[in-house]
Amino acid sequence: MLKAKNLVSKLRYYIINGVVIFLMLILLSRFFYLQIFRYEKYIQKAEINRIRAVTINAPRGLILDRNGKILVDNYPTYILTAIPGEMEQKEKIFNTISQCTGIDSAIIAENFRKYYRAKFVPTRLIKDLTFQQISILEENKLDLPGVNYKQFPERYYPSRINGSHFLGYLKEVDKPILEKLRDPNVYELGDLIGWSGLEKFYESQLRGKRGVKYLEVDALGREMEEVKGYKNRRSEPGADLKLMIDADLQFLMEDQMKDYRGIAVISNPMTGEILAYVSKPDYPPNIFTGKMLKDDWNEVRNDPHRPLMDRVITGLYPPGSTFKIITVLSLLEENLLDPSNEVECSGSYQFGDRIFRCWNETGHGSVNLQVGVAQSCNIYFYKMVQRLSLVQWADICFDFGFGQKTGINLPYEKTGIIPTEKYMNRKYGKWGWSRGNLLNLALGQGDVLVTPIQMVQFINQIATHGNAGELHFVKNDNTKKENQPQLSDNTWNKIEKYLLATVSDDRGTGRAADPKIKGLRIGGKTGTAENPHGDPHAWFIGFGQKENKIVTTVILIENGGHGGEIAAPIARRAYSQYFLPKTQSQMVFKTP
Amino acid sequence: MFSISGNRFSRSPFAIIFASMVLTSIGLFSLLSISVHQSSDILGSSFFKQLVFLGPSLIGLLTVIFIPKYLIHKYIFTMYFIVIGVLFLPYFGRTIAGTYRWIELGPFGFQPSEFAKWIIVISLAKYLSDHNLEMKNLSSFFFPLIMVVIPAVVILKQPDLGTALVIFTPLLPMLYWAGARPYHIFLFLAPLLSVLTAFHTLSFSIWGVFMIIIIFFERPKLIFGLVIYFSNLFLGLLAPMFWDSLKDYQQNRILAFFDQKLDPLGAAYQIIQSQTAIGSGGAFGKGWGAGTQTHLKFLPVQESDFILSVIGEELGFVFILVIILIFTWMILKMVKLGYSSKDRFSGLVLIGIASLFLAHVFVNTAMTVGMIPVKGLPLPFISSGGSFLLSCFMMVGIVMNVGVDSNE
Repeated sequence: MLKAKNLVSKLRYYIINGVVIFLMLILLSRFFYLQIFRYEKYIQKAEINRIRAVTINAPRGLILDRNGKILVDNYPTYILTAIPGEMEQKEKIFNTISQCTGIDSAIIAENFRKYYRAKFVPTRLIKDLTFQQISILEENKLDLPGVNYKQFPERYYPSRINGSHFLGYLKEVDKPILEKLRDPNVYELGDLIGWSGLEKFYESQLRGKRGVKYLEVDALGREMEEVKGYKNRRSEPGADLKLMIDADLQFLMEDQMKDYRGIAVISNPMTGEILAYVSKPDYPPNIFTGKMLKDDWNEVRNDPHRPLMDRVITGLYPPGSTFKIITVLSLLEENLLDPSNEVECSGSYQFGDRIFRCWNETGHGSVNLQVGVAQSCNIYFYKMVQRLSLVQWADICFDFGFGQKTGINLPYEKTGIIPTEKYMNRKYGKWGWSRGNLLNLALGQGDVLVTPIQMVQFINQIATHGNAGELHFVKNDNTKKENQPQLSDNTWNKIEKYLLATVSDDRGTGRAADPKIKGLRIGGKTGTAENPHGDPHAWFIGFGQKENKIVTTVILIENGGHGGEIAAPIARRAYSQYFLPKTQSQMVFKTP
Repeated sequence: MFSISGNRFSRSPFAIIFASMVLTSIGLFSLLSISVHQSSDILGSSFFKQLVFLGPSLIGLLTVIFIPKYLIHKYIFTMYFIVIGVLFLPYFGRTIAGTYRWIELGPFGFQPSEFAKWIIVISLAKYLSDHNLEMKNLSSFFFPLIMVVIPAVVILKQPDLGTALVIFTPLLPMLYWAGARPYHIFLFLAPLLSVLTAFHTLSFSIWGVFMIIIIFFERPKLIFGLVIYFSNLFLGLLAPMFWDSLKDYQQNRILAFFDQKLDPLGAAYQIIQSQTAIGSGGAFGKGWGAGTQTHLKFLPVQESDFILSVIGEELGFVFILVIILIFTWMILKMVKLGYSSKDRFSGLVLIGIASLFLAHVFVNTAMTVGMIPVKGLPLPFISSGGSFLLSCFMMVGIVMNVGVDSNE
């Protein structure tokens, strides 16, 4: 009935008005809060929404040999990434990718889990895609929302040298690594980081600086255009690393050593440049790049001969007879010895209740200092070392840098062991050792352990009369070592003479090291180090000098037998190559 | 006849038409921004469609203005039953976007629920104006409730929770306007609030205290007071236990009943993008056509449910303020017309229509700023949508029609 009177109290009218105004005020205040108070926050959010910072990976610096030939190069591969928040049906997308590339979708899904960081951060799906695979993916882009690709430089090794231990390898930065890094902002998941060798030591120099490109993207992650007002940053390639390695010599030494376990290091003693650096067994460096197969990796890792180990800086060996040089230097420097004094070697020598034997069981007969060194007579040294104290002996060792790191530019170097009184007391108790131990030490046996790189430094000091350069791989100003051993000229000259005799004498143990080149003087010392692992280790340390060219070699063959028979001939080939170079470039470098 | 009609027209509250035209223009302006910058095909764009629908909408407006009020009053129950019947029609057609909201008329889809809203309001007004004196009893809530529940359930089943809620909204203001005791309205709302607050300890405690105060002042018989109080508490305490005892998939099924597209991440994503759009607009906006959230399509359903976010982003707080002020003015004007109406029927119609507008504005706006979960409910005059625009202008027409006789 339209006649019913409209009787509403004023109170009810006001209450209804109040409710309307109250609700509207709530809405307005909310807008005010969002648009005025929180403007900064939301404008940032909107910018983050629309702007995608695309990383441009910086190519790593190249690694070159001393002649500028490329040992480690980069080649472009493609990696496929996806933005998780933009992929609506992951399974379907993974399947499409799998069809385009022929890669199992289970692998793609596993990578996705492995690299996932956040909902809107590109996550790596596959790496090492070829241009062809990328082309097929590009054709199917409409079915792949949120999926992108970018170029990614990988390591490539154009030469036939392995150099695995000094070049080192790269590793992909994964979550545990990222957490441990001191400056995690420098790396992203999936980046490559130098993990061993020079790649690790010179990481900061080689890695370069990644660039960034700002793109405007829509809600589906499609890139629309470059954003105005945002400055793109180009990537800066890493600096190249020029090594002092001679690729030809390195190749030769690797070839010479290929059947052995052991090391070979060739260096210039004046400058400290390392010309060749071989640790065997090794592995081809490219097993760590690209589609590294798990089998390859396991094979390398589980090899009982431990190819991953860099024997030059981390291998600890008894130095054997090469350490007779230490005894000689110590005796000469302390004036405890007349070089012409003779000792009768009958093949054995009784000290206390122990009988020590010479390696030559029939004996060397009358032995003076030069013969003692050249023929490596044990009896001579058993007798003579008794004139020394352990302190005097150890001091000379320390003077030459044993028991300390050489400071070569590689990570993980070891120090070795030079037994001191303190060391012996701790190990055997104050009364548990005697001068008899010194007899062993004189022959480089017993408690003394050295790294091959220390031996390189040792022979370099002898070859330069205590003026050796700091050992280095990478071109520098050829700085001299600090704390050079200070010995008298007389001592230096004498030891040089004896070492030359060791190679040049008809009965010298090192005669196999002489390539018989006119004007070339070779000096050296062999060693046959007894060890608990089987046959003795064969050592040869020596130097070759012709006019003002000088080079040293340190060769060690694990369980190789006699140093003069096994190690010295390898040194000879190094001298031949160094003083009469035959260019092997065509053999060393793969044709591009 | 013509002079009478002319008279009616001249005495109508014109300003409401003017306000609705301003709002429609702001809506068209924003739709144009979306259309120009996102689609190459202007003729198929939401802007163009809206412009085309403006014609029928204005015709609808005029038609409703000129229908004599007594005819409306006389035939509204008939209309009510027709519209309930029509609401069932979509169930015989095919689903569109997974719902039964639409009836296909040639190239156009048409949503009967849009018209049901105000037909129900007018029917309620007729019922309540005819049963004036009995409003003091709780039992007189019964028929109005039934009148609303039947269409609401049908619409809920479409499913369209937003519209179903909007259909409920005018009931309480109209009962209140018709003279229902606030205490009865309280009793009516109490169980609902008990269940809703039960999931939040502090809210539930405040609600408990609030109930004591109301019951204390209302002084029902002690036994009734205790029964009301404890049954509400009990209901509230039971709700979370009941909820927790459900299996995950059952909970999801219930949640999905309330929100068809329930994907927690998806819904959260929409709200975040909408808030970001609005917040990043600041005081004066990024400029027409320069909204990055809008044009890079971070903002979902931007031409209808989230049109206000587009305006907030491109035109800023200033325009939001203007829009909310206009709506506030319109709604208060309707309430005022209702207060000064000569007859009870007109007053109730005006309050009901005002409630409908308020519900739409509040739910849509609160949704865009993330105050309530996403519900697909458009903003009157501004969101694109043919049936809805027509329906809105027809509601304006009704306001003009019954507002003519007010004493104002």
